Amino acid sequence: MSINTNLIKDGFTLEDILRDTLESNYIDDSYYAKLRNDMDEWEGKGTVLNEEERQAYESLIIHENWLLDRRAFEQWYQLYSRECVYWVPAVGELPDAERADPQRQVTIAFDDRRRMGDRIVWLRTGVAYSQLPPSYTSHVSASFVRLPTEKEGEIKIRSQFIVQEMRGGHAIQTFSGWMGHVFVEEGGVIKIDRKVVCLLDAPRNHHNLTFLL
Amino acid sequence: MNIITTSESSFGHLIEEGRVHRTLYTDTDIFRLEMSRVFGGTWTYLAHASELPKPNDFVRKKLGLRPVIITRDREGKFHGLLNRCTHRGATICRQDEGNARRFTCPYHNWSFTNTGELAAVPLEEGYGPSFKKEELGLGKLRVESYRGFIFGTLNKELPDLKTHLGPSAELLDEWLDRWPGAELQLRRGQTRFTCAGNWKLIYDNAADGYHPGYSHASLLRMRKDRYGGGVDMQWALGNVDEGLQTVSDCGNGGTFIDQRAEIIRYWDQSAPMPGEGPYERIISEKMGDKADAALDVVMGSGMNINIFPNLLIIGNQIQVIEPQSVNKTNINWYATALVADDLPDEVNSLRMRLQEDFPSFGEPDDLANFEECQAGLEIEEVEWIQTGRHMDTGKEYIGAKGMLSGPVSDELPLRVFWKEWQKRIEQGNTGGTK
Ligand code: FES
Ligand SMILES: [Fe+2]
Repeated sequence: MSINTNLIKDGFTLEDILRDTLESNYIDDSYYAKLRNDMDEWEGKGTVLNEEERQAYESLIIHENWLLDRRAFEQWYQLYSRECVYWVPAVGELPDAERADPQRQVTIAFDDRRRMGDRIVWLRTGVAYSQLPPSYTSHVSASFVRLPTEKEGEIKIRSQFIVQEMRGGHAIQTFSGWMGHVFVEEGGVIKIDRKVVCLLDAPRNHHNLTFLL
Repeated sequence: MNIITTSESSFGHLIEEGRVHRTLYTDTDIFRLEMSRVFGGTWTYLAHASELPKPNDFVRKKLGLRPVIITRDREGKFHGLLNRCTHRGATICRQDEGNARRFTCPYHNWSFTNTGELAAVPLEEGYGPSFKKEELGLGKLRVESYRGFIFGTLNKELPDLKTHLGPSAELLDEWLDRWPGAELQLRRGQTRFTCAGNWKLIYDNAADGYHPGYSHASLLRMRKDRYGGGVDMQWALGNVDEGLQTVSDCGNGGTFIDQRAEIIRYWDQSAPMPGEGPYERIISEKMGDKADAALDVVMGSGMNINIFPNLLIIGNQIQVIEPQSVNKTNINWYATALVADDLPDEVNSLRMRLQEDFPSFGEPDDLANFEECQAGLEIEEVEWIQTGRHMDTGKEYIGAKGMLSGPVSDELPLRVFWKEWQKRIEQGNTGGTK
């Protein structure tokens, strides 16, 4: 197997992910403070994207959706920064400063880079019975807007989504809501630093959420 | 064999030594009886005191299929009320939680105190002498709590809750007292699952020490491939009966898996969680020589305490089984925090993340297997479910707290469950024989 010198740029294999991030060293009080600040900023008034922003950010979100629908998890992993978070709150009726605070509340998913890797390795074991047969998804995103942010070097894009999920033997499930993507530049490449997925039915009971939103 | 499920109140022919009949999981008439007699006919878990901390707080829950309200009155006493207006039937409480001294029915505005009395009726002069306001209070449950766990029943003949819990009360003490003096807090969010399977498949699994090495192969394989041995749940591999885990009968349908003897250092054997590095450093700095003990309470207790018919205390979570129909069940996992003056809150920053681990990588595979059980059990021609593992191997013994115990893969918990189930289903929910 060829060893990549720049994984972030050139891509990951499952073998790379197995060894990529085995410690969890960046989720701390200041990171949680950043997420609380994000929640406030997501409530702002967005502006529709100009052509340049569409090329840079909307196309990346569309590409992310496509990779997930293709179950290309290793390539999906590559879209994220070194200190990323993939977060699906378990509460509705946002904004709610206390209940939306992941430092105080359990969530549907709160994956730092290491747990994101765990999830991919887990999905690839071939014995995750909740993914046998696997889920196939169709992600549709729309209503992209850019939000003002006080964080220098960061770009905030909010969008609405509908995801349909089909798994052999089960009815098709539909999920909707909004997503927030925070983009940063890392080694000259635009990466997703934080993604929050706010499901319309977040506080309800879910049948199977073992695929990626 | 011709199985008659409903026309009689005797179920002995469905529950044999070492096997039970599939219709117990698939028959809608049996399900309806269970919702009446099992849920409510025994002490049934309703809520935790920390969900309604202040005077006049309330939460809305279910007792079987019955909508109920659990209230704390102004003196702090708990009440269980049937959420059903005595006028013409509407539910009076339509919020999951809140604070109210009175509940006013939105339909014609009859209003009830949070202890269940009918307080006021609009245009009361429209009722004549036969109208007895004092007889029109809300339906009431018998309610008692043990160390914050609030239970309710319609059964007037049961002994008090603590007696009923028996050794489970002591096990709850051990679970709660891992950090002496700490208060257990809910209201930290829930992971809410739904499963296309009968509710008993979930209870059956909670003390099933046979399945982890197989049903959780994905979790075990992922951990081993990424982190090597020694981390989280490795005791589930190989011949578990040669390991140190045990299962026990806690009486009245309660069961217990004890994994504690397999855990040498809780923190070192914990599953990975986001924030581990930074918060371990802070806790170590703050706590000095008590750091190890503080880090250990991040991890689950190594105890599964299952209290018949709907409460499963597993790891740091409180799971509540909410049956919806014969083949649909909601399972709500309440996350918990530990709060004490001498315990840094960083412990909870880690506990929240750790309590996402098993719901992500463990429970979904079990739920998928429960659903496949339900599908298989619909087949008429293969009638029986096996419950006889270690029934006659001579491996059971009287263990700690005088509980009948066995090796961890023993299906003793299934047999314990069915004994209590049969006792409950053959009686009315208010006690006495039907
Ligand atoms: S149904 Fe409640 S007041 Fe009429
Ligand atoms: Fe399990």
